[in-house]
Amino acid sequence: MMIAGSRLASNAARRLRTNGIGATRLDSRIGSSGVIDIVMGRVNEIGIPPPFEAAVKSMEREIMRFLMRSTGDREDAMDLFQETWLRAYRAYPTLQSEDGLRPWIFRIASNLCRNRARDRMRRGRVIANENPDGAAPADNAPNQLDGGPEGALHLKRAISRLPGKQGQALMMRKFAGLEYTEIGTALNCSAESARASVYQAVKKLKKLRLDE
Amino acid sequence: MKTNRMATQVKESAPIDDRVLDAMIGQTRPRIERAMKILRRPQARVGVISSPLGRLLIAESDRGLAAIHFLFISGGERTLEMLRRKFDLIENEASARRIGAEIDRVFEGDFSATAHPVDLSLVESDFQRRTYTSLRKVPPGAVITYHGLAATVGQPDSQRAIGNTMASNPIPIFVPCHRVIRSDGTIGNYGGGVDNKIKLLRAEGFEVGRDLRLPALAVMGHRRTGIFCRPGCSAARRADPAKMLIFADARCAGQAGLRACKLCKPA
Repeated sequence: MMIAGSRLASNAARRLRTNGIGATRLDSRIGSSGVIDIVMGRVNEIGIPPPFEAAVKSMEREIMRFLMRSTGDREDAMDLFQETWLRAYRAYPTLQSEDGLRPWIFRIASNLCRNRARDRMRRGRVIANENPDGAAPADNAPNQLDGGPEGALHLKRAISRLPGKQGQALMMRKFAGLEYTEIGTALNCSAESARASVYQAVKKLKKLRLDE
Repeated sequence: MKTNRMATQVKESAPIDDRVLDAMIGQTRPRIERAMKILRRPQARVGVISSPLGRLLIAESDRGLAAIHFLFISGGERTLEMLRRKFDLIENEASARRIGAEIDRVFEGDFSATAHPVDLSLVESDFQRRTYTSLRKVPPGAVITYHGLAATVGQPDSQRAIGNTMASNPIPIFVPCHRVIRSDGTIGNYGGGVDNKIKLLRAEGFEVGRDLRLPALAVMGHRRTGIFCRPGCSAARRADPAKMLIFADARCAGQAGLRACKLCKPA
């Protein structure tokens, strides 16, 4: 009897770690088993998420940096930051687990970047504003990839010319430091696909360098 | 050249200083605040308490009690999900404990506690909202039948819909769905378990027996005429059953402002 009881309790504890609500059900079956009751007393065990502001506060800079790197324009970045924030707030109730918060919010940000870039294309405007005359961004860029700050600036341009997903994946990986699984969630693809995108991006950049 | 080194180079050559970012974030903040004024969901304080009815999840907004969930019944995730859609949830044990104290008072015989204002935000349909509002008018010490409640909402044939409405009651105890019984005098089912329904009804004065029937002492009160009778009274038999409330005893009926029938003299 004792053994059965303790096994039930340890099962419950295991369930509790994975799924608070599951444990609630078990809780009723075991009756008033002290340990579980104490754990259940904490509201967060049944999955009440932190308030939106508290959850997102630490990611403000990261998001702004990502947007700044993606758009390359201060006003655009601020605009999209606001949009990201509001969309994330509105959709926050649908977010199932707190662990997914970071890739989720990056996904919103990168979707917005993509939408904006597409809108610009439709209106026939130039996305990269480094070349106000509308010419393709300096074609001699790859030649200078190796050299100093100048080369880095060209590298930045080269990144901005990568296909959308590859560029975003590269930026999330190398600048924002997200895990591949997180990038996968953010870009709505598998972790493997995210890894491949980053690899392709790197390969392209390397090729630009070798072409000199 | 390694990409990491390239990335470092980009970072160094076109650095985005934290201060620059903070300034930009600061600049967007007033705009976000303005937009949030429109978007922001009202807040609800959520906590878990132990009560005589088992462990309860309790959510309260500024307008009143928004949800109570019997934690030993499944569906807690769904309740939380619905709450999150309508409210910004804040953990607040103190608020839940206050409500818990009110529930305790019910079991000590002080029913004024259940008059606590309620926030029916989680209720989607108009029919359900009307039902809950009229159900709140059934006083402690009285019960109503599904049929009778349907009649008060103006749809006398919708007792099944009333049944469903009771089953999805977001605020049990305070929206007293335990005071709704079957027309045959048995107490019927309860979302928080029949045992809890019996507990609540007993606390309110009904000596519910093992056969789940109301006691013989119960009297019938007519809501329109304000008269209460013994169940067998000829006057009560003539009356529309949908207009009837069932009181635990003559005292409860008297407290609710009804007078005794002069034919059957129940008091």
